[in-house]
Amino acid sequence: MIEVQGLGKLYGDFVAVDELSFSVKPGEVMGLIGPNGAGKTSTLRCMAGIIPPTRGAVRVCGHDLALDPIAAKRQLAFFTDEPRLFDYLTVWQHLNFVSRIYQVADWAATGRALLEELELADKSDRLPGELSRGMKQKLAIACGLLHAPRVMYFDEPLTGLDPIGIRRMKDSILKRARDGAAIIISSHLLHLVGEVCSHILILKNGRKVIDGTIAEITRKFSQHPGDANLEEVFFRATDEPPRAP
Amino acid sequence: MISALAFLQYHSTKNRLLLRFKRLKQPKYLIGAVVGGLYFYWYFSRFLFAPRGRLERAGATAGLPVDPLLYESIGALVLLVLVLLAWLIPHKRAALAFTEAEVAFLFPAPVSRRMLMHFKLLRSQLAILFTVLLFTYLSTRLSTGNGLIRAAGWWVMLSTLNLHFLGSSFARTLMLDRGISNWKRRGLVLAMLLAGLGIVGVWAVRGIPELRFADLADFESLKQYGEQVLVSGPLPYLLSPFRLVVRPYLATDWLALLSALWPAALLLALHYWWIIRADVAFEEASVEASQKIAERIAAARAGNWQAANRKLRAKHAPFPLRPHGPAAVALLWKNLIGAGNAFTLRTWIILAAVVFGVSMGMRGASSASNWLAVLAGFAVALGFMAVLLGPQLVRQDFRQDLQHADMLKLLPMRGWQIALGEILAPAVILTAVHWLLIIVAVALLPRMAEGNISGSLVLALGAGAAVVLPMLNMISLLIPNAAVLLFPGWFQPGKDAPHGIEATGQRLVFALGQFLAFIVALLPAAAVFTGFFFLVKLIAGSLLAVPVAALAAAAVLGLEAGLGVMLLGWLFERLDLSAEPT
Repeated sequence: MIEVQGLGKLYGDFVAVDELSFSVKPGEVMGLIGPNGAGKTSTLRCMAGIIPPTRGAVRVCGHDLALDPIAAKRQLAFFTDEPRLFDYLTVWQHLNFVSRIYQVADWAATGRALLEELELADKSDRLPGELSRGMKQKLAIACGLLHAPRVMYFDEPLTGLDPIGIRRMKDSILKRARDGAAIIISSHLLHLVGEVCSHILILKNGRKVIDGTIAEITRKFSQHPGDANLEEVFFRATDEPPRAP
Repeated sequence: MISALAFLQYHSTKNRLLLRFKRLKQPKYLIGAVVGGLYFYWYFSRFLFAPRGRLERAGATAGLPVDPLLYESIGALVLLVLVLLAWLIPHKRAALAFTEAEVAFLFPAPVSRRMLMHFKLLRSQLAILFTVLLFTYLSTRLSTGNGLIRAAGWWVMLSTLNLHFLGSSFARTLMLDRGISNWKRRGLVLAMLLAGLGIVGVWAVRGIPELRFADLADFESLKQYGEQVLVSGPLPYLLSPFRLVVRPYLATDWLALLSALWPAALLLALHYWWIIRADVAFEEASVEASQKIAERIAAARAGNWQAANRKLRAKHAPFPLRPHGPAAVALLWKNLIGAGNAFTLRTWIILAAVVFGVSMGMRGASSASNWLAVLAGFAVALGFMAVLLGPQLVRQDFRQDLQHADMLKLLPMRGWQIALGEILAPAVILTAVHWLLIIVAVALLPRMAEGNISGSLVLALGAGAAVVLPMLNMISLLIPNAAVLLFPGWFQPGKDAPHGIEATGQRLVFALGQFLAFIVALLPAAAVFTGFFFLVKLIAGSLLAVPVAALAAAAVLGLEAGLGVMLLGWLFERLDLSAEPT
């Protein structure tokens, strides 16, 4: 469902993403992890069509993002760590706006259900400026989910959410994956990745260090069975041992 | 501790200046700086460096104040009004303007409230000194006199006002803490004002010749009466503290300045003592104020002046947005909401009906056509201004949405669809304004130009303008939007946005570029209009020639607008957000 082939992104002479290839199938949740500056956000932004890749190809549900961006974008949703909303549209007007862009016929019913699910039902007439950070994040999620995307990218999805919100977000991601969506999560929270993701891809300096199922990767970086958790795998894979305090 | 604060101020200023110098390596900043520098030289510096004789000749028209007491009283009256406003209008608690970073670092730090106040006062001096420079320049252009004496005078006035505003905000907070509400305070201030006015009024009735109703029409009589009130009787005494502040500015030589300076300095010292002694908790309000200031600055630099200047409120949608149909309409709908509640179809229909009714009523009722001529001429002039300046004022398009470019890039829409959706809202708003003005002009022009222009011809001209103007608005909006997409770095929002001389220069370059592009875009339409006009005039007469030629010109402009939208869409699709921070 998501196919990335030879993706590269240069900022001037700086190589942010280099020869990245992987795929995510329906129902899979892939964790994109790596140290700061590894190229995670650049990768996601290229894969969402926000910035043009310098080279390589991205296919979303069989549509090439460069050749047929409209068809590809209809299938995807990108949730950024910092919710990007229009200051002057209310919660409900945001959903109305998205419904026209994505031509969602039954948007009102779906929108109401999403607002209920995300505990925003009583805030439908509020502007983003009147919402807390977590509520803004929930509104961005509601907007992203309104057109039932089959491909979803999450960039640090738990930022700003309270414990209940975190739990619901995890459940929501898993539910969408069970329903057949292909999902990529970029996060520094390795426990989230461990709980939610079926696969991981570790990036360092824009290059893929390794990808596969969590079991495969853990096995690869263990000297003895069971001696490495995901955190240990991360440090071993990126050659960044934790420093003693 | 003060050394740490001085360190902060010194290095912040130095680094800011260094950054701006380093930016000059980039052509966009260098060109802006050169053009901006020339602009400021043209308007300011050439006078400062002009030969002395020229300066004096320039100022000779106004000359020095003839009656110092009169000018002192006028200045004092202006100060009184400013001070009264500071006591009457504000309703919030005292807040010192700090940046968010200063709040984050200084408020939790072991820095006393008094020290924070000193920091704030010292920093406000930077702004005051800059204003003094500007005011001194302007005042030396308007009248002769020693520039340094004028500068000292301005500094005394601005510093005293600054301290008074701060002191009044502290006093206001203390009053609120002691249960004296804003309205009680305002009542008290108004009572004092009325008492003062009463004293002056009683004296004026008894002491100087009565001002007759007929004198109101005679400016000279009115002026003489005002002068008498200002220079004699109780008003100069009531204004005496304010006159002390104004007096240094009016000093004619250094000796006069020195004698005028010490009472003003004493007053300044009293204000300082007042502020330092006031133990008012300003921290909480300052935190809130710093956040609001940061939001306003960010909004203003992003070109969103509406958000910068007022509190956002939820607005009604201009029309119901159904889930099916062209996606570009969603952007029109969104941007009309952003433009405010005034931009609904119902509002504009009602407005058009009212304007038409009033115009027709005026046309029928008036026997004299002079003021109708003024109104009609005003409507036409406003229409021309709206064509030229409207696109700069109505910015609910890419200029506002550039900060959301990553969101727009995510939308499953072609570039041209996004471009069309973006420029539709300002085009619709400007067209609505134009059509209203056409209604006024068409209703009033025939009455005004009786005998010269027939009503039918005016109607034909109005219809022609109504057809052409929507397309013209689209064209004029395409140019600044294309500029935003071609040079996004020049329109960079946020804290990195260019400001100062570079920004002024950049704006001038764009204004000139836009004007030239607009003229070039108009040429084909103007040629087609001329051709069709003369052709149809030969066959069917002027009455039909105008709307037919206008239709042909509108078609050409429409074609240009269509091509422009395609180009704009292409530019948006190629806008690389990773190359230009937005």
